[in-house]
Amino acid sequence: MPEGKFCNRTPVNTQEDLEALLGDKGGKQYYAEMEELDVDKAKLATSLKNTCKSRLRTWLDMCAHCGLCADSCFLYLCNDRDPKQVPAYKIQSTLGEIVKRNGDVDNAFMRQAMEVAWSQCTCCNRCGQYCPYGIDMGVMFSYTRGLLYSQGFVPWELKIGSGMHRVFKAQMNVTDEDWTETCEWMAEEAQDEWPGLEIPIDKQDADIMYTVNAREPKHYPEDISEAAVLFHVAGENWTVPSSGWEQTSLSLFAGDWEACTLQVKHVYAAIDRLNPKRAVGTECGHAHRATVIEGPYWAGRPDGLTPKPYLHYTEWLAEALREGKIKIDPAKRIKQLVTLQDSCNYIRNYGLKKITREIVSYLVEPGYFVEMSPNKEHNYCCGGGGGFNGIGRFRKQRNRALMVKRDQILDTGAKLVIAPCHNCWDAIRDLEEEFKIGIKWSFLKPLVISMMIVPEHLQPQEEE
Amino acid sequence: MYQIITGPLLWLTFLVFVGGLAWRVYTYVKGLDWKLDRVAYGTQTAHGVRGAANSILSWVVPFGSQGWKVKPIFTIMFFVFHIGIVITPLFLLGHAVILKMRFGISWPALPMYMADILTVGMMIAGVCIIVRRIALPEVRIITSFYDYLLLVITIAPFFTGFMAVHQLGGDYKVWLYAHIISGEVMLLAIPFTKLFHMVGFFLTRGQIGMDYGIKRGGMKGTNMAW
Repeated sequence: MPEGKFCNRTPVNTQEDLEALLGDKGGKQYYAEMEELDVDKAKLATSLKNTCKSRLRTWLDMCAHCGLCADSCFLYLCNDRDPKQVPAYKIQSTLGEIVKRNGDVDNAFMRQAMEVAWSQCTCCNRCGQYCPYGIDMGVMFSYTRGLLYSQGFVPWELKIGSGMHRVFKAQMNVTDEDWTETCEWMAEEAQDEWPGLEIPIDKQDADIMYTVNAREPKHYPEDISEAAVLFHVAGENWTVPSSGWEQTSLSLFAGDWEACTLQVKHVYAAIDRLNPKRAVGTECGHAHRATVIEGPYWAGRPDGLTPKPYLHYTEWLAEALREGKIKIDPAKRIKQLVTLQDSCNYIRNYGLKKITREIVSYLVEPGYFVEMSPNKEHNYCCGGGGGFNGIGRFRKQRNRALMVKRDQILDTGAKLVIAPCHNCWDAIRDLEEEFKIGIKWSFLKPLVISMMIVPEHLQPQEEE
Repeated sequence: MYQIITGPLLWLTFLVFVGGLAWRVYTYVKGLDWKLDRVAYGTQTAHGVRGAANSILSWVVPFGSQGWKVKPIFTIMFFVFHIGIVITPLFLLGHAVILKMRFGISWPALPMYMADILTVGMMIAGVCIIVRRIALPEVRIITSFYDYLLLVITIAPFFTGFMAVHQLGGDYKVWLYAHIISGEVMLLAIPFTKLFHMVGFFLTRGQIGMDYGIKRGGMKGTNMAW
């Protein structure tokens, strides 16, 4: 069979197709069709010719097979040091073979490559730090995902996810109406406790344009009201766009570069339309990666920068604490052992290690903060990055992958983990569910709200 | 025989070696693509150069990077092997004498005992690297015949040279010829095999350093702690 009804080389571009694909519960038919899907070898060879350039080819070609990458990979460590989990092996046996055979590979090969690309690598980029040549297999697996996606070999959820971005410009089928209604509803609810609080939509020339992860309006609307409370207390002149508010990109996980471009350009269009001084994104790692780190390149910006300065939430929060816009009540500082999860996407891959630790210095009583080992840019992936959290087919492998983070947390002795990243937060929640080690985990927003000093003029008036 | 291998063949070797390397460096740099690699090489060059320097320096210094620190035994083997390979042929007394006799160039030379220490150290490290390839499952799985062949190509000029210099194992002339030929084979192999890393190391390390120096934190003022 050349192409299936669901499993094929065509991206999902209409709501109708999206609903049909969602209707195939668990991707049963989708994966059955995948077993029959032909490889378009000519297309694959053309992709290689156009996109596999000297950086990737030299990496593949020059790898000295020294094996120093093995111990750098948390998936190698938590799978009983299975040699098949050595990063160099994983990439050489997938992308390396595709390049060597110039795309002349068959269906079984592609299905195996899909399994490796999405269940044996989270694109955390840690191996690249330990290779003497700086060969970054996370970059190469991300590239490999792009090749696999273009041939239709992509996990069901991620085909849907990238389709969501194409159809709704947001994952989890959240529409712009859903979003603005959620903002209005959250503002209304919060006003009882916070008189004068607003979530201004589409305000021109604000100091800050705030963007989120679609799962906040979908599942965690309180995250939006917490952001509003903090901007309110800090006295910020801020706004959210009615469209272009969604910062995440499941298409980044899927390797759907066209959808990545569509998505990020949509956010940049909101910046152009509203002309804020800066943009601030929520506590999410891959959202920041998609919009701020890789996004400028997808949008074709030669300077590699966003149209306006675009801060990760931790950068804004550190600034607000530093400048005293938000003050922490010393009596309420955390006085239990607490540790911090470094998100690969904005710590290793964006250098914000000092920023998150600065925040910790305001929130945690001295002596109670315990670093994980290793930490900062050398930290391990939470276990659920790169889309791993969301793929049902690879749930078992994902759960096993959580063991490294579990042990890192256990070694700190901390019972609270600060996790300013949606993906890490989910993975840590799941590891508690899976292994029951008795920890709590939190984003920064609720912690700060619970311990900040509320200026008198912002406090609710006592009823007479 | 001696005339050929130290005359035309040697010159041809140098020509292919230098020309081949130059071609590979040219095609590598030309193939870098800011959009595909997603690194603004051309517009954020100052940040890139800083990142590249940090990346290269951290890894050319023994124990300069986290990667070296966590593998101390391998790191020692690695540096003994590579220092021997680079320093010995460049500053061997015998080679300096040839330069003086043929071209009148005065070239500094190592004392013989130092050259011996470096050569023997390099050969021992080479053997350890081979044993490591066989012994460790994580290295064995990615090792192919080609990797051993490259090690043989690399060690051969040192082994034969050592035998010739110390007149061990029979006719020294045979060892000398073998030394010259194996040295030429090694030089010829460099542009066409993984041995390209002699130059390629600086290119790929520089590239990933630029990536970190520009996109992954460098422009935020964070130096990657390699």
